[in-house]
Amino acid sequence: MQAALDVANAGFQVVLVEKNPTLGGHMLQYSEVFPTLDCPQCIGTPKMVESGSHPNIELMTYSEVMEVTGEAGNFKVRIKKKPRYIDASKCTGCGECARVCPVVMKNEWDLGKSERKATYIPFAQAVPAVYTIDKTEKTGCIECFKCVEVCDARAIRHKQKETYEERNVGAIIVASGFDIFDAGLKPELGYGVYPNVITGFDMERLDQAGGPTAGKILINGKEPKNVVFIQCVGSRDKTVNVEYCSRVCCMYTAKQAWYVKHKIPDARVTVCYIDIRSYGKGYEEFLERVQREGVVYRRGVVSEIYKNGDKLVVKAEDTLMGEVYEENADLVVLATGLRPAWTMSQLAKTLGLAVGEDGFFVETNLKTGAVESPINGIYIAGCCQGPKDIPDSVAQGSAAASMACTLVTRLSREAVLK
Amino acid sequence: MRIGVYVCHCGRNIAGTVNVAEVAEYAGKIPNVVIARDYRYVCSDPGQDLIKNDIAKLQLDRVVIASCTPTMHQATFMNNVQKAGLNPYCLERANIREQCSWVHADMNVATAKAKSLITAALARVSLSNALVASEVQVTPAALVIGGGISGIQAALDISNSGFKVYLVEKEDKLGGNLLRLNKTFPTMESVPGIINAKLEQLKDIPNIEVLTGTEVSSVSGYIGNFKVKVKQKAGEESELEIGTIIVATGFEAFDAKLKPELGYGAYPNVLTALELEQMASLSGPTGGKILIGGKEPKNIVLIQCVGSRDKTVGVEYCSRVCCMFTAKQAAYLREALPDAKITICYIDVRAFGKGHEQFHERVQRSGVVYRRGAVSEIYKKGDKAVVRAEDSLIGEIYEEEADLVVLATGLRPSPTAAEIAKTLNISLGADGFFLEAHPKLGPVETTTDGIYIAGCAAGPKDITDSISQAHAAAIKASIPMFRGMVKREPLVAQIDEGVCAGCRLCENICEYGALVFDDERKVMTVNQALCRGCGACSGTCPSGANQLRNTAKRQIFEMIDILVGS
Repeated sequence: MQAALDVANAGFQVVLVEKNPTLGGHMLQYSEVFPTLDCPQCIGTPKMVESGSHPNIELMTYSEVMEVTGEAGNFKVRIKKKPRYIDASKCTGCGECARVCPVVMKNEWDLGKSERKATYIPFAQAVPAVYTIDKTEKTGCIECFKCVEVCDARAIRHKQKETYEERNVGAIIVASGFDIFDAGLKPELGYGVYPNVITGFDMERLDQAGGPTAGKILINGKEPKNVVFIQCVGSRDKTVNVEYCSRVCCMYTAKQAWYVKHKIPDARVTVCYIDIRSYGKGYEEFLERVQREGVVYRRGVVSEIYKNGDKLVVKAEDTLMGEVYEENADLVVLATGLRPAWTMSQLAKTLGLAVGEDGFFVETNLKTGAVESPINGIYIAGCCQGPKDIPDSVAQGSAAASMACTLVTRLSREAVLK
Repeated sequence: MRIGVYVCHCGRNIAGTVNVAEVAEYAGKIPNVVIARDYRYVCSDPGQDLIKNDIAKLQLDRVVIASCTPTMHQATFMNNVQKAGLNPYCLERANIREQCSWVHADMNVATAKAKSLITAALARVSLSNALVASEVQVTPAALVIGGGISGIQAALDISNSGFKVYLVEKEDKLGGNLLRLNKTFPTMESVPGIINAKLEQLKDIPNIEVLTGTEVSSVSGYIGNFKVKVKQKAGEESELEIGTIIVATGFEAFDAKLKPELGYGAYPNVLTALELEQMASLSGPTGGKILIGGKEPKNIVLIQCVGSRDKTVGVEYCSRVCCMFTAKQAAYLREALPDAKITICYIDVRAFGKGHEQFHERVQRSGVVYRRGAVSEIYKKGDKAVVRAEDSLIGEIYEEEADLVVLATGLRPSPTAAEIAKTLNISLGADGFFLEAHPKLGPVETTTDGIYIAGCAAGPKDITDSISQAHAAAIKASIPMFRGMVKREPLVAQIDEGVCAGCRLCENICEYGALVFDDERKVMTVNQALCRGCGACSGTCPSGANQLRNTAKRQIFEMIDILVGS
């Protein structure tokens, strides 16, 4: 969004393509952001509204880039608009269709921790505020047509087909983000086996006022009193082929430890870490605040998590004391790292871009060309280039916008001179 | 008057503590209120459509939205009502979230307070006037302060977009702190190579004027129309017409002498990381050879976090680059001195960037020993410097008799930062670096329109992230020039000339030189382009002649009456 807004504000036309039904990305799922503890919906939705209503931005949500040909200054892009089975221009977002829909599915917005209907809108402030009928899964829409009956706007289109559009553009910015490491790949940590082992991303939904528990930190209906956070799950770990650091987990863990202390002041909160990487502006200060508020940091590696009655036991080595210890827990939060988005390899093929050993897009030069892809006119920004936090992603979004605008300006000037 | 009132639930944020339905019902009974509704998320598309439709259907001429702080969605709502044909200055906000639901637990209390906040907002908006924002032209020229890598990159982008750039550097040479570096991490590229490539690019561009040996002496005006005085070392002063400004004044290294226990300055074999860089540089005094007292060191200790994460010297923050900087130095020391013993004393290894962890691991594999723990002192023993430290992993105190000790000194704000902040009237944070408009979403903007920050001026960062910020600041600075015009807020001071006694009390209060006394008519006048609507002058005026538009005295007092009376 930041890249699109900067380019649009500079007076150029932008086509903003998003594969999901709404703008916003991961940030809108979080409860708060570090170290300011701002609410991401509060700071994110103004950008969504601006992107959705900007006269220079053509918004194509629920759409995917299928083919790119041409060169800098004159790319031809073929975009697939996936069928929402609802006429977006007619839908008023009233929600009647979802109310009558009989099909209940897992809600991916809450990472499967709540339910939604087959006819859905990801969240209330979605842009565009248009419903989508989910026919992508077998468990989806059963075509009972109840929604058709209640839609006053006559917007339901069960026979809608995907359509293809072509756009000519001078430059392309790829900002396709990241996916979350699958904690199931570390079976010794019990994710998916023990319901009170959750990931950091689950924790965000658990703490968020709009999440499945309306912001209450509850495990099996009870407030956990002993919470253990485990860092570097799927980061700095060659056993799962992830050598790199995910750059954000130390701080999001510190923030989540604060969530627990804030909502359950008498809870015992322990963080198991290898190195604390509080490198950003105000991060060290935040870390210290969290420690002052009683969060205990123990350096070392967790070897396993096992069950003892209804409690979990985290077995770890404290490398500072040189001793193996066990910590009882009624909630364990795994700080899962950032992986390349699952769409990366396809997108790389479509755009002709290379991905590195870590799976993220390769830049022309790590020091001086971090937002430039090897193809002239194609720029990369945010986590598709490698894990990073929000300010660094926003800066890269603007940086890519700058590169795109200077390129297009220079090419048009040269064209005039010719 | 026909007013619409919209009470936002903000999910459970407001509705969890405020009885929003009751508040809306209450507001609906206040005189002149034609419609009052509560809605789940007023900022969502359907919420905004609701307001737009009401304005059209019910011919509303005023709107009050009771929701979050105006710092969030003010632009969203102003644009929205304007689309429906309502003057955006006839919109009023009641903050019932940050100032109500978030700070109260009791629903009765919060609901009563929300009612009075809305009643007060209704009183204010009833006296508000429709205003029109004026537009002024933007001078198509940018000023970049600081000729390091960030400043150079920002200047290149802006000029590539077709605008004039003045690149001001206080030293005699462009390049900044990079001129003191040897190699990059983790790519081990030559830093002089990077700088030279950028300087070559600069040469090819005609619309960049490089002013070395020059400092900014004064800045006046506002976005689009700054007047900047620059002073050369020779004393020659000139004035530039500037549209937008980027501050890229970089950093200075922490002074290791402030940690006397480390012996810097006392022992010749204790160097700072920057001094080692210069020694390792091919163009340095030893031609790139690592020599201490003419001999190759056999035992080297590198100490991290010198002047970072250390409250004893008043630096709480992490300097973000030293871990990798040290790993890089260990890498080239290992290459130059294959048999030397190399130890790195660290607290946490912060190898967080792309390729950093992999590089760190490579360094460890090459036989560089990382020992976790703090160094307590360095003392002299013959021609050796003995490093006394605690290994916190094995819990023992150890000593290392080193031939060379390298202190990874952290990054401090540029010594010019405080002066520049004053000149530009922008803020510094508690850490001494320039303060961004928003730590998450506005990392390169300041709270002053038209002034942006990039690179280490805003806080420590590596070359990669500095260059990203430079590009980012460049597009921010270019946008007003691309547009050619900027909006001026009409919410400025206004003088009732019939009442003004010409006492001139307000004149000195103004920080922006916006008040100009008319000597002939003996009344004060406001330069609306310079006025930022802070209201300081209005508060000073004894007669009430000087009032801020839509925050007039009567509006404020009516609001106070309602809020205090209830």
